[in-house]
Amino acid sequence: MVVLVAFMVLTAIALERAVVKRALQAEEDVLQLLIYSLLGAVDQDRQGLSITVSGDRLFEPSLVTRNSGLYALLYDQQKREIWHSESITIGFPRIGVTELGEWDFQIVEHLATPYFRLNFALQWPDTNNKLQRYDVVVWRNAVGYFEQLSRFRQTLWAWLIITTFLLLVVMYLVTRWSLRPLQKIGLEVKAIEDQQQSGFEQDYPDEIAPLTANLNILLKREQYQRDRYRNAMDDLAHSLKTPLAVLTGLSDQREISLPQIETLREQTDRMNQIVSYQLQKATGVADIRISKPVDLVKIIDKLVSALEKVYQEKAIRVERKLPAQMLLRIDEGDCLEVVGNLLDNAFKYGKKRIAIESPESEDKSMTLVIEDDGEGLTAAEIEQILNRGTRLDQATEGQGIGLAVVADIVESYNIELDFNTAEPVGLRASLKFPKI
Amino acid sequence: MRAIVIEDDIDIQQQIVERLKAEGFAVDSADNGDEGLYLVQEYPADVAIIDLGLPKMSGLEVINQIRDQGNKIPILILTARGRWQDKVEGLDAGADDYLVKPFHHEEMMARIRVLIRRASGWSDSRIVCSPVSLDTATQRTYVDEREVDLTAFEYKVLEYLMLHAGEVISKTVLTEHLYDDESDNDSNVIEVFIRRLRQKLDPDESLKPIETLRGRGYRFTLQRAEQN
Repeated sequence: MVVLVAFMVLTAIALERAVVKRALQAEEDVLQLLIYSLLGAVDQDRQGLSITVSGDRLFEPSLVTRNSGLYALLYDQQKREIWHSESITIGFPRIGVTELGEWDFQIVEHLATPYFRLNFALQWPDTNNKLQRYDVVVWRNAVGYFEQLSRFRQTLWAWLIITTFLLLVVMYLVTRWSLRPLQKIGLEVKAIEDQQQSGFEQDYPDEIAPLTANLNILLKREQYQRDRYRNAMDDLAHSLKTPLAVLTGLSDQREISLPQIETLREQTDRMNQIVSYQLQKATGVADIRISKPVDLVKIIDKLVSALEKVYQEKAIRVERKLPAQMLLRIDEGDCLEVVGNLLDNAFKYGKKRIAIESPESEDKSMTLVIEDDGEGLTAAEIEQILNRGTRLDQATEGQGIGLAVVADIVESYNIELDFNTAEPVGLRASLKFPKI
Repeated sequence: MRAIVIEDDIDIQQQIVERLKAEGFAVDSADNGDEGLYLVQEYPADVAIIDLGLPKMSGLEVINQIRDQGNKIPILILTARGRWQDKVEGLDAGADDYLVKPFHHEEMMARIRVLIRRASGWSDSRIVCSPVSLDTATQRTYVDEREVDLTAFEYKVLEYLMLHAGEVISKTVLTEHLYDDESDNDSNVIEVFIRRLRQKLDPDESLKPIETLRGRGYRFTLQRAEQN
């Protein structure tokens, strides 16, 4: 706003200056022209030493009209007036000293009236061929000029003020209009804070829609995470109660027998598994759209080299048929967890070889298949692993938490996890990732 | 066997040390990374058990430094975090195996034995130099399938010699790897155990499994069985 006003004022000042300068130049040019025509009308007197201007040879009628506002005077070397135009009815002051051949243009006030005055000094030979100095002076009434100038100024500033005002109004309206979605966002944030609504509405302009859409994702994710923590805490508390009850019972015994030590051990193992599982469940799982892409092939490289070290003595042959790069939008930790657990199982149960492949699928989604040549799983066991929502404390003994965690992560990313029997023997685990 | 345990939780450290000693290991322990790294650098050991979350210098840093110095000691890492990200980091840094806390000591011992055997080029839990064989899991000794009754220390000496079958093992190396404290050991004791081992393994002196190289040490002479 300030910038706009300053810009308009500065523009007006510059414009006015240019116009004034131009107008003055025009006045000077007119007077100069007049002086030239005067000089052209000069006649030498027969008695010498003086010159006269014959009126009929002047083409400017204003000079012969009385009080026309245009006056011309001629002075000799002694500053004596030797001629003046017929228009003159009042006296004019003698002129000052001007250098020969120079134009002296000024705005002068005489008898409370402004005048343009142009003075030109020149030399003219007399009858004895001796050079004499003469001064030609023209006066022109400037009242009209100043009136015009002030009218111009008034018009200029009036238009300027009107334009500025209109522009300010338009700017204000445009700003208000364009910021309206932001005001709406502000109101919606308040409403979300007050828990009156759960997310942003969808009717935002294209420029802002991505922002609100991302904020919605963030809100959903946050809500999801909160639910997750709450559920994990809930599950944890509930599932720890049973083993704790067993242990409390044991602590009432005066002496602990060998089978009871076994029970103690079973229960602490169980508690450990429960805690690990819930910890894994509560953390991680970022939103696919927010996470930066990770390269599945690099993750597989890392895991295979780690696992080859751990299962060194099994000397398992890893057959890989993977493209150079497989980019996925998934949290790297989650990806490591899923693929790590599946590969770990393959190394653990496989006998001689593991195959890691990414077969082409018709719908262009990415698939990862991990196959081992171990005993495989029965249909019932597969069913149990894939049965979402099976709480670990209800799951079978010795199954470990690995696959339960995998099933959990996979579900939250909408990744399809499937187990089949490999040919001729073994387990074939396949992960089908959603298209980005 | 000598083990170095680097674990900052004193209770866990104590439990691990006690278990290792009960299994016949000589053990040094440290509760921070700096001291642990020093132990690994200064004392030749057969295995290092390193917790990842250590004060002063992290376990990962300790492992990195050990490997940077070209030390190939088998390393078992202990971690409270069970996520694959942490396991991969540790194995990537140069560890050989990992254990997620809490763990059972049987599990830990099994992993340690595998690491030690693997470092000497044995992949099976049975160390066989026919006709002598050791079952490292049960710590039993057989000659031609006949079980030989050895004391715990005799077994330790024999296991060390057989793991390094064909190599010359000096008395100093034997004492370093078998005794807990170097100050109160006497190399004559080693000679006594070697003599007893010879009597038990080879009563009729037909096998001559342990050779004495004067001034240099001992060598287990029987050939390693082919690895499958």
